[in-house]
Amino acid sequence: MPTITLTNLTKCYDGNTEPSVDQVSLTVEDGEFMCLLGPSGCGKTTILRMIAGIEHSTSGEIAVDDLVVDSVHQSCFIPPEKRRIGLVFQNYALWPHMTVERNVDFGLRLQKVPAQERKERCVDVMSKLRILEYADRYPSQLSGGQQQRVALARMLAVNPGVLLLDEPLSNLDATLRLEMRAELRRLHQTFGTTIIFVSHDQWEAMTLANTIAVMNKGQLQQIGTPDEIYAEPSNRFVAEFIGNPKINLIKLKESNDELMNLASHILARLPESKFADVCAIRPEEIILTDTANANTLPMNIENIMPTGGSWVIELSLDEDRLFHSTQSRPKWREGEQINAYLPTHSLHFFDHDEKRLVLSETHLDYSHLLLSSALPNPKKANPKNTNQPFVKQA
Amino acid sequence: MSTLLNATEQKKPNLWRRARHSFAVARHEPANLMGLVLAIFFAYLILAPVLSILVDSFIVQSGDEVRTHQDEGSFTLYYIVRTLFSRISEILLWQPLYNTLAIAAGTVMFSMSIGVVLAWLVNRTNMAGRAWFATALIVPFMLPTWTFALAWTTIFKNRTVGGQPGWLESLGITTSNSVAYGYFPIVFILVLHYTPLVILIVGNALRRLDTQMEDSARVLGAPSRVITFSIVLPLIRPALMSAVLLIFADCIGEFAVPYILGLPVRYDTLATGLYRALDTRQNGVAAVIAGVIMIIGVMTLLIDVRMMKEARRFVTVGGKGNMDRLRKLGRMRIPASGFAGAFVLIGVVLPLLTLFLSTIMILPGRFTLENFTFDYWIGSNLDTVALRNGILLTPEFWQAAWNTIVIVGSSSIISGVLGLLVGYAVLRCSFKSVSSFLRQITFLPYLVPGIAFAAAFLSLFAVARGPIPALYGTPLILIIALVAEKMPFASRSGIAAMTQLGKEPEEAARIAGANWLSRMGKIIIPIQAGPLATGILLPFISGIKGVSLFIILAIPSTDVLTTYSLRLLDYNYDQAANAVVLMIALIAWLGTVLIQKISGTGLAQGLEN
Repeated sequence: MPTITLTNLTKCYDGNTEPSVDQVSLTVEDGEFMCLLGPSGCGKTTILRMIAGIEHSTSGEIAVDDLVVDSVHQSCFIPPEKRRIGLVFQNYALWPHMTVERNVDFGLRLQKVPAQERKERCVDVMSKLRILEYADRYPSQLSGGQQQRVALARMLAVNPGVLLLDEPLSNLDATLRLEMRAELRRLHQTFGTTIIFVSHDQWEAMTLANTIAVMNKGQLQQIGTPDEIYAEPSNRFVAEFIGNPKINLIKLKESNDELMNLASHILARLPESKFADVCAIRPEEIILTDTANANTLPMNIENIMPTGGSWVIELSLDEDRLFHSTQSRPKWREGEQINAYLPTHSLHFFDHDEKRLVLSETHLDYSHLLLSSALPNPKKANPKNTNQPFVKQA
Repeated sequence: MSTLLNATEQKKPNLWRRARHSFAVARHEPANLMGLVLAIFFAYLILAPVLSILVDSFIVQSGDEVRTHQDEGSFTLYYIVRTLFSRISEILLWQPLYNTLAIAAGTVMFSMSIGVVLAWLVNRTNMAGRAWFATALIVPFMLPTWTFALAWTTIFKNRTVGGQPGWLESLGITTSNSVAYGYFPIVFILVLHYTPLVILIVGNALRRLDTQMEDSARVLGAPSRVITFSIVLPLIRPALMSAVLLIFADCIGEFAVPYILGLPVRYDTLATGLYRALDTRQNGVAAVIAGVIMIIGVMTLLIDVRMMKEARRFVTVGGKGNMDRLRKLGRMRIPASGFAGAFVLIGVVLPLLTLFLSTIMILPGRFTLENFTFDYWIGSNLDTVALRNGILLTPEFWQAAWNTIVIVGSSSIISGVLGLLVGYAVLRCSFKSVSSFLRQITFLPYLVPGIAFAAAFLSLFAVARGPIPALYGTPLILIIALVAEKMPFASRSGIAAMTQLGKEPEEAARIAGANWLSRMGKIIIPIQAGPLATGILLPFISGIKGVSLFIILAIPSTDVLTTYSLRLLDYNYDQAANAVVLMIALIAWLGTVLIQKISGTGLAQGLEN
C-alpha cells in the first residue's frame, strides 16, 4: 500500500494571482485515514483532484511511494487513468446510462479481467456495501445514500491503493450520515486502504479521520490527531474553526483589569519578546459558580439557549460576549449576575500574528494555587512585568 | 502518522520547465488537439467564405475587365460605387433595402401584437380549448414559409403572370396586384409563420414568471392594469426583445416568400436582389449586397447581446408560484377561442387545404366533381408536354427526394456530431484562446443570412483553389455549406449539452482507468445520445425546408425537393409543385413530432429501461 507525499505543492488557476493551494507539504502514510479540513474555497478539493491527476500542479511535486506522478521540475505528469487512485466525487458522478452493476464493473472490464472473476469481485464488493439487490437498477432509481455506496463500490471494485473521497457525508441526511460514517470506518478496517477525504465539516472530520490536516486560504495550518487539533490548536484560525460553539476569544487590553490579573501569572511564562494579543477558552471549560473569589470574573447571563440535552449560555464580560456550554440544566435565569472561573490550564493565548503561544512549561497547572489564594504575587515574583509588558501596548 | 515536511524554499520553476510540464499534461488531453483541428477546419469552412465574399466586392471579377478598365483581380471600388452611389443603385440596393426593412418591421409589429395576445390567452386564461390550442397554434412554424406563399398564389394569382389562373380569377373575381403580390401578402405570410415563435418565447417567459410577484402587487392593492404594465410586461421584456430580434434577423434573410410573391411585380428584397445579381453574373455587386446583409445581421446581434446584458440585471428567480391560476375570461371565453381558432384556420387549415385541393384539381377554382382527379399524384400517360406521370410515379421526384435525404441527412449527421465535438473541445480545451475562437467561429454563420452565406460559398468554392478542386455542381458543396450554416445551432446545443453533463462522469471514467476512446465511446456519446439525436434531427428539418442555400448552390443533377418544386413552379406544373411542397411539409412535421418524442418523455424512459 502506497505512501503519498506532497512537497511544496502549489496550484494557481489561470487568471488568479492568489494561489489556490500554496506550498503544501505533507505525507500520508500507508493505511492512514486522513481528512483535509477547511472552509469552502481553501484549496482542499484542489489538492484531492491533483492527487487523483484531474488537475495538474503549478509547482511542487506529488509522489506515490517513490514514483513522482506530477512534477513541474521533472516535467512529468502521469494521467489519472494510469495512477490507480480511486476518487469518489461529491455528487457521485455515476454514469446515468449504465446499471449499478455496469457502473461497478466498468473499471474491471477496462482492466480486461476475465468475466467470471469480474462477476465474483462485483458481487463481493456490492454485497459488502449492501447494494447487491439494486444491481439491475439505474442510478436515477436510487436514493442518495445508495448512490453514494454505488460510487464507493465502483472505486473499491478495482481495489485501488488509495481512495480519495470528496465531502463523503455532506449530501446525506442526518440518519444516513451516521450510517455512512460507520460504513466508512468499517471499510477502512476491512480493506485497509489509505483514505484521504475532504470536508468542511468538523464533525465529519473529527468522527472519521485519525489524522486531520486543517487548511485555510490554500495553506496548511496544522496536522494532527483530532484530539491534538482540538486541544492544541497551532493558531487562532484552527482554534476558531474547530469546536461548536466556537471558542471564546477575549482581546487582552489593559482596561480589562480582572482578566489581566487572572492571566498575568501565566502570561509571565511566555517566551521572551512574545506578546499575547488574544486569550481564548473553549465554552465547556468555563465553570460557573455563585460564589465570587479572587480567581473568578463577574459576568452577566444574557441568554440561555437549550439545544436539546445541553445548554448554551451567553455571558457578557464588559463588551465581550462569551459562550458557555453545559450538559447540566442551568440553575440561573437570564439577566442574573454570575461568577465565572476560567481554569488557567484551559486558556490559550495567541500573539498578534495569530500564532498560539507555547508556554515555557506547558500543562503546569497553577489552578490549585489560584484557588487556595496562595499564589505568589506575580508582580513581585517577576518584577520585570510590573508594567504588564506581556500585553502588547496599543 | 503524518508529518509536516520542512518547507524548504524551492526555486520557482522557470518558464521552460513549466511549458514542458504543461505539454506533459496536455499530451494526455486529446481535447486540445481536437480543438485545434476543429478551429482550423471551421476557419476554412466559415471564416474563409465570408472573407472571400467581402474581398470579392473590392476586386475586379472575371468578365468585368472592360467595364472597369482594369485587369481581372485588381483592386477596384467599382462595385461599391455602382451598388451604393450610381444611377442604378436605387434598383440594386436602396429600394430592396427599404423593402426588406419594411417587411421585417411590419412582420415584427404584427406578429408581436398577435403573438403576445395569443401567448397570454394560452398560458394565463381559461380560454376554451386551451390545451389543444397550445399545440395547434405552433403548427404554422413547422411548415416552410413558402408553403403559405404557394397557397396564396393558388388563390389570389391574377393575370399579371401567365400560367394557370388563381381560384378567384377563375371564379370571376379579379384580384388587384397589391393583394396578389408584393408587400401585403409577404408580410401577411411571414406574420403567420413567425407568430407561433412569439407564442413559444413569450409563453415560456409567462409560464416561468413567478406569480408571487403579481400577488405581492395585488396584496398592495394594485389593479390588474397596473400589474400588467408595471410588473408583468417589464419582467418579460427580455423575452419580448429576443423574439423581436430573432424575427427581424430571420426576415432580413427570407428568400423564398419574396421570390414567389415579389418577383411578378418586381418587388425586390435584398435576398432576391442578391439572387438576381448572381443570376446575371454580377458577382461583384452580389458581394456588396451580401456585405450589406451581413452588416444588418451583425448589428442585430450586437443589439441582442447588449439587450441580453441588460436583461441579466433582472433575472427572475423562478419560485414555486402557483402557475395553474388562470384568469377568468367570463363572457369573453368563447370570442377568445374564436380569435385563436381563426389564427389556426388561416395559418394551418386554409393553406394546407388549398394546396391539397390544388393538387387534385385539373382546372383551378372550378369546384365540380369531374374537375377532381388524383392523376397529379398517381396518374400516368397524362397529356402534358413533360411530366407525363403523377408525382409519386415520377423518377425525378424520387431522385430529388433521395438527394434531399442524402444531402440534408448526411450534413445533419455531420453537423450534429461536429456540434457535440465542438462542445467537448470548447469545455475541455486547456487553451482559453482556442476554445473561445471555436465558440465564436461556429456562431458566425448566424450573422450571415443563408442567401449571403450561399453566395460566399460560391465565391470561395466555385473555382479550384490550391489543393481543393472546384466543388460547384457536386453534392459536396451543398453538404459542407449546410454543415457550416447549421453550425451555430449544432455547436450551441453541443456546448449546452456538455455543460449540463459536466466534467465529472468523464473524470470518474478516467479514474477508473479508461483511455480517451473508451471514454468517448462508452461514457460521453451514450449519455449524450438524446441531445445528439435532437442535434441531428433539428438541422435535418430546417435543411429540408431551406431554400436559399440550394437555389444558389444546387444544379439540376443535385436537385433536392425544394429546388425541384420551385422549378416545377417555373414551368407551370402547379399541381405537381404543390404536391411536392405538401410532401416536404409532411416530412418536416413528422420530424418535429419525432424530436418531441425523443427530447420529451421518450428520452427519460429510454435511460431508465
